[in-house]
Amino acid sequence: MTALAIEGIGVVGGFGCGLDALRQALDSGFSPIGALKTGPGEEEGSRPAFLAESSQLEAFLPKRAFRRIDHFARLALLGSHLALQDAGRLEENRQRLGVVIATGYGAARTTFSFLDSVLDDGDTCASPTNFSNSVHNAAAAHVSILLGATGPSLTVSQFEMSVFSALLTARQWLLEKRVDAVLFGGVDECGPVLGYCHERFFGEECKEMTPLLFDRQSAVVGEGAAFFLLTRGGEGAGRYGFLSDLGFGRLSAGGPKMPGNALLLIGADGHARCGAGYGALVPRGAEVAAYAPLYGSLPVGSAFDLAVAGLTLREGRVFAQPGPAPENVLWRAASPGALGDRPVCGLKIDGEGVFGSFTVQHGPS
Amino acid sequence: MNFRAPVAVTGLGCLCAAGNTLGECTETLFTGRRSPSPPGRFSTTHPVSYPVFEVPDAALSESAGEEAGLLRTSRLALAAAREAVADAGWSSADLGALRVGVCVGTTVGSAMNNEEFYRQYREGGRPEMTPIERFLLSNPAAAISRAYTLNGPCQTVVNACASGTDAIGLAASWIRAGLCDLAIAGGADELCRVTYNGFISLMIADTEPVRPFDSTRRGLNLGEGAAMLILESEALRRQKKGRARAFVLGYGSACDAYHLTAPSPEGTGLRRAIEEALETSGVAAAEIAFVNAHGTGTPDNDRVESRVLCDALPQVPFFSTKGYTGHTLGAAGAIESALTVACLERREIPASVGFSLPDPDLPGRPTEIAVAIRGRVALSESLAFGGNNAVIIFGSGDNS
Amino acid sequence: MTIKEKLKKLLVEELNLEDMTPEEILDDAPLFGEGLGLDSLDAVELVVLVQKHFGVEIKDMDEGRPALQSVASLAAFIEEKLAK
Repeated sequence: MTALAIEGIGVVGGFGCGLDALRQALDSGFSPIGALKTGPGEEEGSRPAFLAESSQLEAFLPKRAFRRIDHFARLALLGSHLALQDAGRLEENRQRLGVVIATGYGAARTTFSFLDSVLDDGDTCASPTNFSNSVHNAAAAHVSILLGATGPSLTVSQFEMSVFSALLTARQWLLEKRVDAVLFGGVDECGPVLGYCHERFFGEECKEMTPLLFDRQSAVVGEGAAFFLLTRGGEGAGRYGFLSDLGFGRLSAGGPKMPGNALLLIGADGHARCGAGYGALVPRGAEVAAYAPLYGSLPVGSAFDLAVAGLTLREGRVFAQPGPAPENVLWRAASPGALGDRPVCGLKIDGEGVFGSFTVQHGPS
Repeated sequence: MNFRAPVAVTGLGCLCAAGNTLGECTETLFTGRRSPSPPGRFSTTHPVSYPVFEVPDAALSESAGEEAGLLRTSRLALAAAREAVADAGWSSADLGALRVGVCVGTTVGSAMNNEEFYRQYREGGRPEMTPIERFLLSNPAAAISRAYTLNGPCQTVVNACASGTDAIGLAASWIRAGLCDLAIAGGADELCRVTYNGFISLMIADTEPVRPFDSTRRGLNLGEGAAMLILESEALRRQKKGRARAFVLGYGSACDAYHLTAPSPEGTGLRRAIEEALETSGVAAAEIAFVNAHGTGTPDNDRVESRVLCDALPQVPFFSTKGYTGHTLGAAGAIESALTVACLERREIPASVGFSLPDPDLPGRPTEIAVAIRGRVALSESLAFGGNNAVIIFGSGDNS
Repeated sequence: MTIKEKLKKLLVEELNLEDMTPEEILDDAPLFGEGLGLDSLDAVELVVLVQKHFGVEIKDMDEGRPALQSVASLAAFIEEKLAK
């Protein structure tokens, strides 16, 4: 499979903003947890959550430019500008730049703000600005508009499979030469309704994620954006490695094909329902990490896994598994050490027997 | 970027206000008869009502078992998929053994906008999770993949009104790249209070039946429905001896990068998408027999679109079928693709219903009577919120 | 608060014109294009705000366009409708 070069990465999440903040969280094994409201009123309960904020967007754009732009799109804008800046391409012409955004829930807060306008003041007072911003592709539109990117734009909504699904298209565009670069990102946001749903589904709140303890329910919701500047493999330096082997399918038809010696980043994020599934997929003897304790449980968590894979490859070193790992298993949790020439793989399963996978390797082929 | 690798369309399914099957929908285009009406399945407190194009409940009577518990958009998608799969001559069991991709465009289908749930939540009522569970099961592409236990790429495209066209174009690229042997590609969307209120708040909905390209047009009418196309690789077609009803010849897609809701006045994205579709298909503009336009009936869209069409595809007849279907949002591009194939097969294009008075501001006018066509290539295009433009070119199939 | 003052406050708060204060908006300054630089999406949002805060309906943009020229023209429009 022809590989894609990862030229730049931009991230914002519970750990903070930018790759330095992510690296610091990876090295310390710690990321601060905030409080997400779960009820509609001011006093009504809260739940731990990894919250992201977008104030650094002002370094890239005048405030007036995003006066009507919501939290979700601001995260996307920030992630995409950071990725372009990281790649050293902020000034480039963007006529041949495609934009692909993967999101599990879209601009959920704005969807509910629109419903607020209707429930508060009636159907005739529905807010057109909220409606327009609640459409799933609004964030991609804002990114395209503010960057002047006139290539194709795609937004994909596939819950936990969003990132893997969307990557297939990003790759197609590059291979078909519809574009010369793709700004690819995963974005998801938290809100009180999500907090409430989590509480109803998963009950007792948890303050420490332990995703490698597969039978434990330890998910803590998160939000943020992880963006990448991708180019065709042969045309890029691969500053963060080369993305190859995008897998997507049903486990029952044959699982992911991953190189045997790969460092394996699994998308386990503290949901017991998927835990057993991961347990069955981890190869004997593999070195495994689940970095979700640094950014939380969100449908596009795999985009953060991809960022960590890129960082791992660039720095040539493995970041320790944050938090506890099980003993007496046939594999081992990631521990600090050299990556060597091993590739890094990402693997995610949903609760219904579908998987997505990627491999980040050192060279273009 | 030059690929000229046609992808066969071996089956189609379509359901909307114009009919429960593609055959019925196609017939309707040539009758001149349409009956948009005030919404029947929900009510609002607007002082006037805005006509919509609803799918009758009887059209979804086949949803049974698990499917019946899904949200309406997924049920529409599954109904269209059923027709398409049968049309292509495949059984569920056969599909399970292939590598099959699913690519479906939607807007409402991916939105968690259950008003009753949210109203209870706001009042501190701690609503039950059933609507959420239903929502989580109702991602349209995942619902199709699950129903047939398909192994292959799965993608719900949420590019607003261009989603259906994009989904088909993207699935064709999966086939060409060998990511799957067969793809179920299309779009689905249901009518609901949220989009009804939303478009009215934008002041682009008409209180009269929609009049695309007409001088007196005042906006769109919403609709609902779904359409699915079965795309197959040449290897699979040879093996199964499937007949192609049409071919996807080319696809183009570009962003205006202009405004969240208004199209670029010069139609820059649309022009680029048309060019890309022509280039990837290897077809010259002069070979295009007709265009199934986006034609929503809004002042802005129809103005921009007709200017671009008259410039980029001069003398090529165009029409909007939204006068019969309403604007079906994520399903629109797919429904219109299906109708484009049907018109190619029929060798006839309909009059653009709702048009009678030419707008002096527009350089051209849509078809005013049904016309026989001899050409074998046609184009369908969609312009979306966010400035997405998607264009797809179809060629006649095996039997013509 | 006069209608004009209320409108200026709404413009700043509801349309998120963070870099301005209501007092800085001149009665006759164009709202669209130059002047405040609002666009078509702000225009329809304004229609909803006028409905919500004054109970006055702007039926369509034929009616809306002249009314939405400036704070002064909008205030006059609202006063006229309220008087009926």
